[in-house]
Amino acid sequence: MTPLLEASQAAFHYPGREHAVGPFSLSVHGGELHHIRGPSGCGKSTFARMLAGLIPHLYHGTFSGAVQVDGQRTVDTPLWQLSGRVGLVGQNPAAQLLAATVRDEVLFGLENLGVSRAEMQTRLDATLDAFGLRSMADRDPHTLSGGEQQRLVLASIAARRPQVIILDEAFSMLDTRAAADIADHLQRLRREGTALLAFEHRLPQNGWREDARPHVLARAPLAEVSLPEWRRVAPWRLRVRNLAVTLGRRRVLEDIDLTLAGGRVVALLGANGAGKTTLLRALAGLQPFDGDIHDDSGGRHLGLCFQNPDQQIFNPTVRQEILFGNGGIDADLYGSALELSGLAPYEYTPPLLLSEGEKKRLALAILLTRPGLRGLCLDEPTLGQDDQHRRRIGRVVRHLAAAGYLCLVATHDVEWAAEWCDEFIRLHNGRIAAHRNATALRQPEDEERCHATV
Amino acid sequence: MPRDGMRRPLVVQDSFLRQIDPRTKIALAVATSAAAGLPLPSLALVAACFVGLLVVADVARPAAAQLWRGRLWFAVLFLLDWVFVSLAFAALITLRLALLTSSCILIFATTTPDELRLAGERLGLPPRLAFAFATAFGSLGLMEREWRGILEAQQARGIESAPARTHWWELRGADLTRVAALVMPAIVLATQHAWAISEAAAARGFESPERRAYRVLRLRPVDHALLAATALLLGTSFLLR
Repeated sequence: MTPLLEASQAAFHYPGREHAVGPFSLSVHGGELHHIRGPSGCGKSTFARMLAGLIPHLYHGTFSGAVQVDGQRTVDTPLWQLSGRVGLVGQNPAAQLLAATVRDEVLFGLENLGVSRAEMQTRLDATLDAFGLRSMADRDPHTLSGGEQQRLVLASIAARRPQVIILDEAFSMLDTRAAADIADHLQRLRREGTALLAFEHRLPQNGWREDARPHVLARAPLAEVSLPEWRRVAPWRLRVRNLAVTLGRRRVLEDIDLTLAGGRVVALLGANGAGKTTLLRALAGLQPFDGDIHDDSGGRHLGLCFQNPDQQIFNPTVRQEILFGNGGIDADLYGSALELSGLAPYEYTPPLLLSEGEKKRLALAILLTRPGLRGLCLDEPTLGQDDQHRRRIGRVVRHLAAAGYLCLVATHDVEWAAEWCDEFIRLHNGRIAAHRNATALRQPEDEERCHATV
Repeated sequence: MPRDGMRRPLVVQDSFLRQIDPRTKIALAVATSAAAGLPLPSLALVAACFVGLLVVADVARPAAAQLWRGRLWFAVLFLLDWVFVSLAFAALITLRLALLTSSCILIFATTTPDELRLAGERLGLPPRLAFAFATAFGSLGLMEREWRGILEAQQARGIESAPARTHWWELRGADLTRVAALVMPAIVLATQHAWAISEAAAARGFESPERRAYRVLRLRPVDHALLAATALLLGTSFLLR
């Protein structure tokens, strides 16, 4: 049987890069589920783009080998034709939205198929019903939750009835509930004969892991480095009383009462929109709030490491980026921060050339050199990271906690939280639903573990 | 992820202008801008009709908000013209500027980016350009959120916005660095966003020569009536000037 999609020694050389990405080979038939994984920077997204035909049509560089869709070579087939057979769903749903309403979002792809208006109407109705989008058809897609947005992007692709759907980290920004929802919709498409290619570090749990054909794109593993001695801070506590935050007309946080101690790693869990980021911003002094936050060491000593490091990076080298505004820091602290974040080999590299994981660690290094710091708030530090980077982040927070720092980590990654955290707080609709020891997350039967991984 | 209260609605859904063909609205905006060349009495008549249309169309509030943002400039212009020329001249110039500033609100407050794209294509814009224009318009909210994120992220590492200087020669190296700290990430994020949009559009068959629009723009009697009334008002105003 002719495969729907076949890559033979496909490789791509970006201009100005030393090495090419690939070569990769893969053969996909209808209804199959392929799980392609590998360490960050091994070329997963590039391979996904080669399979979808975006490379070489949209990217400049040298493409070698061959990718065939339904027996036709992608290099010889126009991109608009390929997109009718192979759909690509990316990581960030908000960045893939093109229209002003949910209905128009689905219609965008249908219009490009060139089918009749009646056919468009039939497919639009079927898609809105199948993906549970009927009630929100007239809403602005940017007002939907992250899970709803990704469902909409998938619906827009599925309405075009491609034979293959490629998921490039499509689950990584979703909470477990939203990921499971998307996974169910995809399984339905698979039963109808659509092949799925998941380029993911981890697959959703509901039946996917057992079912998938695994492929690993290899790259040399990161060397395990020893972490440098870090300056100790005196024991301290952070007390939060009746904290509440209102954004616009919506109460995002309410009745937050907490006592957290230095030397602990605390996971902040909860669905998208539960208030995790808002709580971190309030604790770091970036969000106005009602109530009281009291640091018994005097002053405010919590720093926030943002989810998207690209919002902070602007200097020509890693060294200048860390030292910016911190010219007075001693060489030992600078060296330790560089070493702790694993960026010593990149000291004179332009930060924009670093991988996503390295950029996240650079943001951490910038924060660690801030004077008077006693605690860290990390917003989704493991998002889109492979196992090695996740482990490295885990080791770093444990190392800092051992030096007396409080590490508060907002995450959807329950497995990471179970492995590296001492306690966890679960937020639900802006309130604390649970605050317990993290051992609960390690027990499969525990109610909290179930809540977090539904 | 979007947060409630952080995004203001750009399109007034209840306005009767939502039902009007975008091409008619473009013609209305062009006619209003053209009327800015009229002398004061005729201009006042057109302005009164325009304000009436804004009120009936339920877009007076966004128009007022837009004018309010330029209040300082309007005030300075009015005062200078009053002091150095005359009160009538000051009123004429300020009214012209206000009319020019608010004429496009008819389009932007009542038309979605997709409708604009369709209108652009029907008016002869190449599809790629019409899409780029509509996407840029639709991305304003997203870019605004990104900009706020950058300000906050830099503030978190102790970089505040550059303090205002009265003269350019007072600018210091540190000010320029602060500006770079905000502008560089903005350029990077805007470029990333543009790439993501290109990929998303390509993944859904953008630039297909077989493309067929779901909606068909058609001028209805109400469009013809509005266009005729505008032509009549404008023609009379020019004849009476």
